[in-house]
Amino acid sequence: MTWNREQVQKKLLEVFSQHKQIEVDVSEASEIVAELGIDSLGVMEVLAELEDTFKLTIPDDALRNINTIGDVATAILTRLESDGRLQG
Amino acid sequence: MSAPPPRTVAQAIEDAAASSSTGYRFLEESPDVAPFHSYADVERMSARFGGAMQAMGLRKGDRIALILPDNADFVFAFLGAVRAGIIPVPIYPPTGLGKLAGYLENTLHIVAKSGARVLLTSSEIKKLLGTIQAQAPGLDKVVAVEGVRTSSDKLRPEKIDLDDVCFLQFTSGSTARPKGVTLTHRNLAANVHAIMPVGLSIRDGVDHGVSWLPLYHDMGLIGFVIAPVYHRNPITFLPPLLFLKRPARWLESISKYKGSISFGPNFAYALAVKRIKESEMEGLDLSSWRIAGCGAEPIRAENLRAFAEKFSRIGFDERAFVCCYGMAESTLAVSFSKIWTGVRTDVVDGETLWSKGRAEPAAESSPRASGIVECGAAFEGHEIKTFAPDDEESARPLPEREVGELRIRGPSVMQGYWNDPEVTKRSFAGGFLRTGDLGYIADGKVYICGRSKEVVIVNGRNYYPQDIEWEASQVEGVRKGNVIAFGTMKGPSDRERVVIAFETGEKDEAAKKRLEADVRKAVQQSVGLTVDDVVPLAPGVLPKTSSGKLQRAKTRELYESGELLGRTSAREVDKLDLVKEIAKSQIGYFRHRLFGKSDD
Repeated sequence: MTWNREQVQKKLLEVFSQHKQIEVDVSEASEIVAELGIDSLGVMEVLAELEDTFKLTIPDDALRNINTIGDVATAILTRLESDGRLQG
Repeated sequence: MSAPPPRTVAQAIEDAAASSSTGYRFLEESPDVAPFHSYADVERMSARFGGAMQAMGLRKGDRIALILPDNADFVFAFLGAVRAGIIPVPIYPPTGLGKLAGYLENTLHIVAKSGARVLLTSSEIKKLLGTIQAQAPGLDKVVAVEGVRTSSDKLRPEKIDLDDVCFLQFTSGSTARPKGVTLTHRNLAANVHAIMPVGLSIRDGVDHGVSWLPLYHDMGLIGFVIAPVYHRNPITFLPPLLFLKRPARWLESISKYKGSISFGPNFAYALAVKRIKESEMEGLDLSSWRIAGCGAEPIRAENLRAFAEKFSRIGFDERAFVCCYGMAESTLAVSFSKIWTGVRTDVVDGETLWSKGRAEPAAESSPRASGIVECGAAFEGHEIKTFAPDDEESARPLPEREVGELRIRGPSVMQGYWNDPEVTKRSFAGGFLRTGDLGYIADGKVYICGRSKEVVIVNGRNYYPQDIEWEASQVEGVRKGNVIAFGTMKGPSDRERVVIAFETGEKDEAAKKRLEADVRKAVQQSVGLTVDDVVPLAPGVLPKTSSGKLQRAKTRELYESGELLGRTSAREVDKLDLVKEIAKSQIGYFRHRLFGKSDD
C-alpha cells in the first residue's frame, strides 16, 4: 500500500490524539513526552501501532532522534520512501 | 545444599568454555536474525574485548564505562573487562524522546564518580555524547565499539581474586549524587549460588532462560548473563525495547526456545496482559515455563493473577510464579518464594498494618483485609531481620509480624558504595545493610509493605523525588525549595501515580493553570516520566518540620486523604519566622544543587 504525506500526517495526529495523557491540542510540533505526557512505554505502544498501519519497522536507533510528532513523521516518511511506497 | 568452593566470574567464563552446545542467543527485531554464541565462543569473544581494553592502556583495577545498546556487544565487553581485571561500569543508553540534556548530566556524574578512564560506546551514541570527555577530567578517551569487535589484541592473563572488585552497579541515588554499588567476585559467587541451585533448583546446562531485561540493570545482568555462565545454562536475549514495543515477542521466544526461566518486574506481566492480542497467542506453548520470577518493583498479586488467567490457555501454569525480593546492594537477590508454589499472600488487617505497624491476620472476607505478597525466606548463610528505623546498632530485632526496616547481612551484601565512605557508613547499622524498605517477617518469610526511602518506581525504574523537585523548581513562578514530589498507589491506575505539589505566589487561576502545565512539561521533558497530577498551593501550605524541612510522607498522606487542597497555611508563624524559613529553604536548595547534598 502506498501513502502520501498528508495521509501520514493525518494518521499520526489521529493516533497520538488517542494516546495522549493530557488534554492538549495535538500538532506536528507537539513534543510526545513533554507535552502529550506519553511515557516511553506508551511511545513504544504507539510505534507498534504505527508499524502495523504503515507496514514497516522503526528501529531502536531511530528513537534517539524522536522528540516531536514531526520527528515520527520524518522517520516514517523516510522508510516509506526507501520502500518506494511514498506518493508525491 | 553445601556450597562448592566459590569461583571468580573470570574463572567461571573459562570453565564454561568447555561447553559448545549451550551459550547465548541474541534475538533481534527481524525474526530471521538470531545469532548463537556457544560458551566456547563467549570465551573467545570476551578475550578479544578484554585484550582490546588492555591495548587501550587499561590496567587491573581501572574502570571502563559501558554504554552499549547492542546486547552482544555489551555481554562481550562486560565479560572481557572482568577477565582483564578491569572494572566495568554499565550505564544505560540514551533512549531519545527529548531527554538528552538530563541523560548527559546523569552520565557525566556516573563517569566522574566511578573515575572511568575509558568510555566504550557505539559510534552513533559517541556523537550524542559530544563534549563529555572535556567535562570529565579523568576520562582519557571515548572509544567506538565497532573497531573493538574485530580487534586482534590478545588478552594478557591477569590474576583475579575473589576479593577483587568485579563491577560497579550505579542504580541508586538521585542524579546529582549517584551511588555505585561495589560488588566483588565473592559477592557474585555467593549470590549466584543462592539464586541458581539453592533458590530456583536450576538444572545445570539444561534450564533455558529467556530475557528481555536491560543488561545495565542487576536483574538482567546478574540473573541472565553472569549466573548462567556459572551453570552453563542456555540463554536467549531479546532487545529490551523490542519487548516494550512487541510484548508478544517475549512469550513467542519462550515458546519457540522452550524457555523454562524468565523474569520481569510487575509491570512486564501487566503489560503482557494489556497488550498481547488473542491472535498473537495462537500456536504458542508456555508449558515449558517453570520459573516466572517477579521482582524489582512492588508486586501486585492481582496483576500476576490476571496474567495467569489470560495465558493459562496456552499452557502457562500459575505455580511458576516466584516472588522475589532483591536489590543491587545485595548483588541481586535477597529472597525468593519457594518454587512451584505460585503467588502466596498473607491476609492481614490493613487498618492495623498502617496505623499500628503490626500485621495481624484477618479473614479474607473482612472489609479491612489486605493481601501482602510473600517473598520467601533468607538464603542459607544470609539473614533478614526487621528493626525500628532509629535502632542505629541493629541491637533489638523486632518480633515477627511487627513492621520495621528490613535489614540484611551475609556474603551477598556489598562492602559499600564506590568512593563514598560517608554514604556507605550511613547505609549500615551494626553490621546489617539498611535496605530502606519497610516490611515484616512471619514464619521466617519476608513481606514487603513499602519503602522508607521515598523512591518512586514506575515501570521498573526508580525515580528520585529530589530530581523531580529540582526540575519543577526551575520553572518560573514556582517557589524555589517548596516543591514536593511523591508517588501514590491510590487512584485509578495499575502503576504508581506521580504527584507534584508546589507552592506559588500566583493567585490568578488561569496563570496557575499555565504554571501547572509548565511544571508538568519541565518534569516530563527532563525526567521522562508522565506526571499524573500537579497541585499548585499557596505559600506555606506544604507541611514542614519545625526545622523547616519539607515532609514528603506527610504531604502524601494529606494528598491521599484529600486534605492537601483544603489547607490554607500549615504554618502559623510570624513574619520573622517566615523570612527565616524561606531563607533556610533557599539555602537547602542551593546546597542540594551546588554540592549535591541529599536533602532527605
